[in-house]
Amino acid sequence: MKQIYICSDTITGIYSALYDAWKENRDKEAGIELRGKTQQQLFCEYTVVEENGEKAFQLERMVKRYLGYNAYWDIYHALLSDDEQKGEAVFRTMQEARKIQDSRRIMDHLGNPDVAKVFQLSRSVSNEAHLYQEFIRFRELEGGLLFSEISPKAQVLTCIAEHFADRFPLENWMIYDKTHQVFLVHREREKWRLVWGQELDKQAAARISKEEKEYETLWKGFFDSIAIQERKNDRLQKTHLPLRYRAEMTEFSD
Amino acid sequence: MKDRIQTEMTLYEKLEILSDAAKYDVACTSSGVDRKGDGTGMGNCSRAGICHSFSADGRCISLLKILFTNECIYDCRYCVNRSSNDVVRTSFTPDEVCTLTMEFYRRNYIEGLFLSSGVLKSPDYTMELLYATLYRLRHVCNFQGYIHVKAIPGADQRLIQMTGYLADRMSVNMELPTAEGLRLLAPHKSRENILAPMRFVQEKSRENRQEIALYRSAPRFVPAGQSTQMIIGATPETDYQILNVAEALYKKFDLKRVFYSAFVPVNRDLALPDLTGKGPPLLREHRLYQADWLLRFYHFEAAELLDEKNPNFNVLLDPKCCWALNHLEVFPVEINRADYRLLLRVPGIGCKSASRIVKARRMGSLGFEDLKKMGVVLKRALYFITCSGRMMYRTKLEQDYITRNLLNTKERLPEGADGMTYRQLSLFDDAGGIPAGGDVK
Repeated sequence: MKQIYICSDTITGIYSALYDAWKENRDKEAGIELRGKTQQQLFCEYTVVEENGEKAFQLERMVKRYLGYNAYWDIYHALLSDDEQKGEAVFRTMQEARKIQDSRRIMDHLGNPDVAKVFQLSRSVSNEAHLYQEFIRFRELEGGLLFSEISPKAQVLTCIAEHFADRFPLENWMIYDKTHQVFLVHREREKWRLVWGQELDKQAAARISKEEKEYETLWKGFFDSIAIQERKNDRLQKTHLPLRYRAEMTEFSD
Repeated sequence: MKDRIQTEMTLYEKLEILSDAAKYDVACTSSGVDRKGDGTGMGNCSRAGICHSFSADGRCISLLKILFTNECIYDCRYCVNRSSNDVVRTSFTPDEVCTLTMEFYRRNYIEGLFLSSGVLKSPDYTMELLYATLYRLRHVCNFQGYIHVKAIPGADQRLIQMTGYLADRMSVNMELPTAEGLRLLAPHKSRENILAPMRFVQEKSRENRQEIALYRSAPRFVPAGQSTQMIIGATPETDYQILNVAEALYKKFDLKRVFYSAFVPVNRDLALPDLTGKGPPLLREHRLYQADWLLRFYHFEAAELLDEKNPNFNVLLDPKCCWALNHLEVFPVEINRADYRLLLRVPGIGCKSASRIVKARRMGSLGFEDLKKMGVVLKRALYFITCSGRMMYRTKLEQDYITRNLLNTKERLPEGADGMTYRQLSLFDDAGGIPAGGDVK
């Protein structure tokens, strides 16, 4: 009977599920489904995975060792996407890697539909992360904290954390992922971390600092005056800056 | 009088005037240098460059693009800030520029500063102000993001040199492609005057590379290189002349980029062309960028693309297709054998797909299906290639026939009527479907 592992939609969760699946069923079919998004199938056995950091760490080490860092990078990014079958695609990719001569070249095997899926997911997640590096806008709250809210499709916070930590080492800043309800928190001179399970204090997030309004106005003024009217081109603007990002951008808010 | 205006004007008004005056400068890229933050200040740089927004004309906003001042002692006919124009004049203080840059950067609005300027009092005086601003930004505010600064022609070389150590990219504008055009429209500027600082920056960069080879911690001089820009369509130069100038600049001055800016009439002047009802020559600008790409990445020479007899680009076909149609004797090219440079010359094959072909054919011979997966635009390439000796369909190797067919497959002009994209090269640009030579960034 096909074994299906149920886990939470987090890296630790899916890694733990992959760990169990690999341990028990690496030569057979197995499924990995996300808690709350499972679809009951016939002739399957369901287990809820016990998730922990140790399993996740072991799996990460194994993938890096046998599939190489580049494949790990793709797998990691694919697992951040909002696709429900991502865990299974990765599992089958790992199985496929065992069949080929040089497992480290697994990501070149785009002829295999699972590998192609992992590749495509990884690409779309890293694209989205890159766009957020561009389009995230911080506002300064009372006390000097820089705060930003985003609604990404994928769980991009860990992909952009290093970029902003390197850029603003001396600032206190925070990015809130509204879709997945996760905070990325950075304290001055410290390492960044993720915080789950906290509510956003909407009132505190609305208390902007004294100067904030002024700089927002300055930026909007700049944004308008830098455009050349004779070359106006809405379609081009839309291609580069899709509408869904604009709701959270200073220059497009009133 | 001047002082009174300056003290009364708010920062908002100044920013509005001085960004409005800078908007015709095209080079808004933040690319060419990779630098991590050192943990003591703010900012870093990424080689591919990062866009932060896109203005209503679809051009990318990467840097805070401003003039330091719009006062100017020169009277260039095409420029809004020519001395004889009656416009409101104002200047920032170094402090104001620093505050704006830092506060915008903190909020992730921008990737850095693009500082240009009109010439206030004298070139030296202006350059000194730019230097003072950059010095403050780098050493007082500890800003480690991207800075692009203009070198003012005629300024003291020592000033230019000192400024170069603080900036990532420096540029001197060519303004117009020929000395003749300059004499006509920018009577206070001369070709020699513009080329001198360009040469100086080039020599300094070369010296600096050797210094860095010796001492890794030597300070960096303009690490992202220098660029320039030319106005297209204000003077009667042909595309051939313009492209030759660009080629000479790349070869003789080691420029990183030459930018072309379609002439937008802002002044009424008898010496300027009348563009009423026509709008800026955007398609021409697009063709020039395509050709520029061919020069830099496809190993073409200007003389191959145009000549005295055909001095302008075809409106209907891109420069690479035109070249191919005039050199049918080279084709068809066998995909499984042709060397990389020859593959690059095939319409529909770009740099990425050419290198993929070269890698993939080591594993086994390639067919048309494989080419499609690699991002080759077959509808354009099929007239010029064979796979293992076969063409994709029966076609004739005839100029008229191919031209007709190519015209039927619509060229993917950038979005909009015939505008062009200014998006920067990005690591994550989609690999597939880039028409060869047709993608301008």
